[in-house]
Amino acid sequence: MSEQQKHTISILVENEFGVLSRVAGMFSGRGFNIATLSVAETLEPSVSRITLTAAGDDAVIEQIIKQLNKMVSVIEVVDFRAGEFVDIELALIKVAFDASTRAEVMNAVSIFRAKIVDLSTSTCIIETTGSQAKIDALLRLLEPIGVKEIARTGSAALFRGERLMTVDREHAAGHCDSEVAS
Amino acid sequence: MTAPKASHATHLDIVGETAKPKHPLRGRVMSGAEMVVQVVADEGVKTIFGYSGGAILPTYDAVFRHNEANPDQKIELLVPANEQGAAFMAAGYARSTGEVGVALVTSGPGATNTVTPTRDCQADSVPIVVICGQVPRAAVGTDAFQEAPIFNIMASCAKHVFLLTDENQIEETVRTAFEIARSGRPGPVVIDLPKDVQTHEAPFKGEGRLRLRGYDERREILESSTISARHAQSFFELLENSEAPLIYAGGGVINSRASDELREFSHRFGIPVVTTLMGIGSMDTGDDLALHMLGMHGAAYANYAVEDCDFLFAVGARFDDRVAGKVDEFAPKARVAHLDIDASEIGKVKGVDWSHVASAKRGLSELLAAGKGFSKSFAPWVEHVVELKRRHPMAYNAGSDKIQAEFVLECLNRIVGGDAIVTTGVGQHQMWAAQYLDFKSPRTFLTSGSMGTMGFGLPAAIGAQIANPGKLVIDVDGDGSIRMNLGELETLTTYDVPVKVLLLNNLGDGMVRQWQDLFYANRYSGTDKALHKKDFVKAAEADGFRFARRVSKKEDVATQLEAFVNFEGPALLEVMTDGHGHVYPMVGPGLGYKNMITGDHIEGRGNKPGGGKTSGGGYF
Repeated sequence: MSEQQKHTISILVENEFGVLSRVAGMFSGRGFNIATLSVAETLEPSVSRITLTAAGDDAVIEQIIKQLNKMVSVIEVVDFRAGEFVDIELALIKVAFDASTRAEVMNAVSIFRAKIVDLSTSTCIIETTGSQAKIDALLRLLEPIGVKEIARTGSAALFRGERLMTVDREHAAGHCDSEVAS
Repeated sequence: MTAPKASHATHLDIVGETAKPKHPLRGRVMSGAEMVVQVVADEGVKTIFGYSGGAILPTYDAVFRHNEANPDQKIELLVPANEQGAAFMAAGYARSTGEVGVALVTSGPGATNTVTPTRDCQADSVPIVVICGQVPRAAVGTDAFQEAPIFNIMASCAKHVFLLTDENQIEETVRTAFEIARSGRPGPVVIDLPKDVQTHEAPFKGEGRLRLRGYDERREILESSTISARHAQSFFELLENSEAPLIYAGGGVINSRASDELREFSHRFGIPVVTTLMGIGSMDTGDDLALHMLGMHGAAYANYAVEDCDFLFAVGARFDDRVAGKVDEFAPKARVAHLDIDASEIGKVKGVDWSHVASAKRGLSELLAAGKGFSKSFAPWVEHVVELKRRHPMAYNAGSDKIQAEFVLECLNRIVGGDAIVTTGVGQHQMWAAQYLDFKSPRTFLTSGSMGTMGFGLPAAIGAQIANPGKLVIDVDGDGSIRMNLGELETLTTYDVPVKVLLLNNLGDGMVRQWQDLFYANRYSGTDKALHKKDFVKAAEADGFRFARRVSKKEDVATQLEAFVNFEGPALLEVMTDGHGHVYPMVGPGLGYKNMITGDHIEGRGNKPGGGKTSGGGYF
């Protein structure tokens, strides 16, 4: 039995009615857990990209990938391997502070290159983007001060370098062709 | 760089288009309902099983008008008592032919009644298309009369679901639904069809399908996948190093119409074959190399062969828990090769030494070609297996005065000799039918394997008989199972479908009672029906059966069965059987085959006829 590991999985799907519920339903129906999830249209409006993170041992992750690949609406699935991709998440963190902790909050914000997007006399909302690990680290730093609420978007991920997922590649090629033609 | 390639492809597309003749009705203005019916007719469907209702009325009307306009190419409508019956009829039609079965039902309860058969078809890989009416688009989501969220409900049960909201894609969607149902690993496809889409009028295109970028690409790869010379070589190295190879054949062999290839493969290399419940009929059960069914209630000799083999070749099978039991102890001495159309089945349950993703037909054909030079003989192993068959045959309490279900099935087997299509309910009678009946051809044993749906037998038999008008179709059913869809008895006489219903009545849910005997100290909670007042013979008579008889004496069984099978119309024969019989052999849930119990009558290995453990505990 191999150990549990967090995987970032990118899924290109037909941008059609109910596709997210279908994908999410496959996870719940087979007892797999989704840790984070983000969905939006791609450059090609008929295609959506679902990025999700899930934890599991090798066998579980293999089943997730294979079951996703069976779904009629799924166009392509990538289970990113360490080092070959960039994943970024956005988090809004509401922190309560007083005069004694205010400087500490500011300090953390500056060290993590985060932003304060809302400020009152006793609370602020910090916006930060980065890897899940970075956001977790910032949270650990702020928790003793007083984190009241948090909203995270879930990771978005892309391959590093020139590598693209298929549909994106076709879109890019199509774009190229039209330029040549004109 | 990409431009010339693109124009080349376009050129090919145009050539392809002009080569195909245009649909004769192209350009005719039709309602959405008429388009649906026209595409269903174009797909070669001769019978629709279904029940009308408010939200599907336009499509039922379109069927009526289609038949009026095309008296030579009518689509028959067969109306069940309940929509569950309709979709199981479509499943029986599909299982017995390999063609897509169609159920047409209304929204809300009509559609939800088809959930069970849809899941059943998904679990057993059966191609059906369920078309359900839906409330008009504007009313969707308002909790309208007879509205149910069919997309959500069916998405987790079906291979695919369409909510047809785009009135410009009606025919494309229906065509694509048929394609998805029958391609790759087959399965059920549901089309949720709002009423106002059915009434929308537009010119009929007569061609076109939806683009399924990922599915189409994966399908193309699957259908053109080949076993490389090196990969084939590694298969034959495993076989070469084996002294005791065994083929474990499942429903995938039947689904991909690979029975001929399986038989050829088995005989060419001299390898015996065990089949799963779903694989029954892929080998002629009378074949010397056929070892019948393996698994929880498999033949003792089949399970011993699995224990003894040193190379197991799984073809279109998936190591289901009813087969593999305790996975670590399944085929403990064997290296394993796995050929399956579904990549997700490879390694899902058991790790394998060799695998290939392709249809059983394609994979076996390629291996046959690649193994031309293979010459090793497995004669000593085949002798061993023949000896297993001789020493551990199926056996039951034949001396009892009470009628044993096994005895009835033996008598039936002598009469029909493997040539009938047999459907079953679920439970003891299902296992006994699998154990004691012979089957010469694929698609002749139709049973709810994975889902285990009680009530499957009667409607599935109707669908099979409609698809195979000249054949003898027998529903071997139990009293518990047949009750679930008893309303369909009337459907037999209404349409004069000459199905033979053999009802083995043991006054209760025998299989559950067997488990209560073994694991719950004989406490028959909810399973004893001895006090029920149901008179099945009178029920059949009330539904217009001209042959409805009950047999309570052992000496009458053979003669009554003869009369029953030879009766021309629908017939029901109820046989009162011993309520205390158990199905043996039995590999208890979660156990390995070494713990198989063979009961009091089947010769076990190592002199332990009733011995062994019955349960691994904590498992279902």
